[in-house]
Amino acid sequence: MIEVVLNDRLGKKVRVKCNDDDTIGDLKKMVAAQTGTRADKIRIQKWYTVYKDHITLKDYEIHDGMGLELYYN
Amino acid sequence: MANRTDPAAKSIRGTNPQNLVEKIVRSKIYQNTYWKEQCFGLTAETLVDKAMELDHIGGTYGGNRKPTPFMCLVMKMLQIQPEKDIVVEFIKNDDYKYVRVLGAFYLRLTGIDSDIYRYLEPLYNDYRKVRRKSPDGNFMLTHVDEVIDELLTRDYSCDIALPRIKKRWTLESLGVLDARKSVLEDDFEEEEEKDEMEQDGLEEEVAHEKQDYYRARSPARERERDWRRDSHRHRDRDYDRDRDYDRERGRGRDRERDRDRDRDRDRDRYRLREEKEYGYERERDREREGRERDRRDRERGRRRSRSRSRSRERKRHGRSSMSPRRHEAEDGNAPEESKKKGKKEKKEKKDDGTDHPDPEIAEANRIRASLGLKPLKL
Repeated sequence: MIEVVLNDRLGKKVRVKCNDDDTIGDLKKMVAAQTGTRADKIRIQKWYTVYKDHITLKDYEIHDGMGLELYYN
Repeated sequence: MANRTDPAAKSIRGTNPQNLVEKIVRSKIYQNTYWKEQCFGLTAETLVDKAMELDHIGGTYGGNRKPTPFMCLVMKMLQIQPEKDIVVEFIKNDDYKYVRVLGAFYLRLTGIDSDIYRYLEPLYNDYRKVRRKSPDGNFMLTHVDEVIDELLTRDYSCDIALPRIKKRWTLESLGVLDARKSVLEDDFEEEEEKDEMEQDGLEEEVAHEKQDYYRARSPARERERDWRRDSHRHRDRDYDRDRDYDRERGRGRDRERDRDRDRDRDRDRYRLREEKEYGYERERDREREGRERDRRDRERGRRRSRSRSRSRERKRHGRSSMSPRRHEAEDGNAPEESKKKGKKEKKEKKDDGTDHPDPEIAEANRIRASLGLKPLKL
């Protein structure tokens, strides 16, 4: 289980617990459940890399405590 | 400026009509080439020409969420606010189905509740195919009546949040609308008459039942559907979650679980009565034993295998802290019910970690279970 921090720099900072074999799409659903936005409106980025929905966190080498950027579509 | 609403336009639902589309999608539309080139200076008449050229509907698509021309035209209509007769003409026209869908969408956004039901329900009879652009950029096949159904029952379509409208049965009880009469009713009656003439007695009864069932269904169907929709809506936070969860799990599964729970509850009641006769001491001892075993198991660490050994049943029951009476009842029943398949399903649900001692993990597992994800691997 890893814990990822997502920050949108506008006041929304969420900590999400997830497995490393979850996909980004699953992570977006968890974030949507916690923040109240819709899952398909969320975009997760790291600098200019937009993370795709069907790839797992392990493949993106997202580790425990890592911070990701939260943007909206 | 091209993006300003007509100053003579009324405000919709207390705000600038363009604000019905949320900020990010609105900016995407303003930056779109189709909007800048084709939608500049459109009036109601020239808008009809543009609408006739439409060949697909949809919301935003692609990596950078490009809006479809359909969305641009909806935005344009919100900007210029055509008269209601013009919108009704859009809907009534039979030749161009995309103009019809455009008119229906605009009416759904801006019209009053009774008008929406009155004008959109006849469109349920339109079975023509419609091309829809999905968010990843591919085209999907859908039909006009499916689109209308989505407009009337969902609260989000084509990346625009649809305003809330009153339920149909509310309007019926107010007397503003008549009960819903399906066009298929006549066809059904014809079929039943044919059946009656061919067969006798018993079949006739069945046909009558079917007829009554269908008749009872027509006006009540809306009510039932609306009630189901409404009961979800009131759980604000869980609305989307529950909807997805139901769709993924299927209602059959829920029904099975409910049936099993009822069966278990009856069994609990029966056991309780039995145990009361033997006295409470036996239960207390069993409880204490169970708790000690829990402590031992907890030290060994949590295992999530799905075997149905008695100790695991007890441990599971010991962990889930409920009212003492129910706790005792379940403890006593553990060995018996481990054999039942229905109870096994319920055990697996508990095994999803929603009863984990750490409240954060339990909460996360609860959310994951409702989303259809596997529980956290600790």
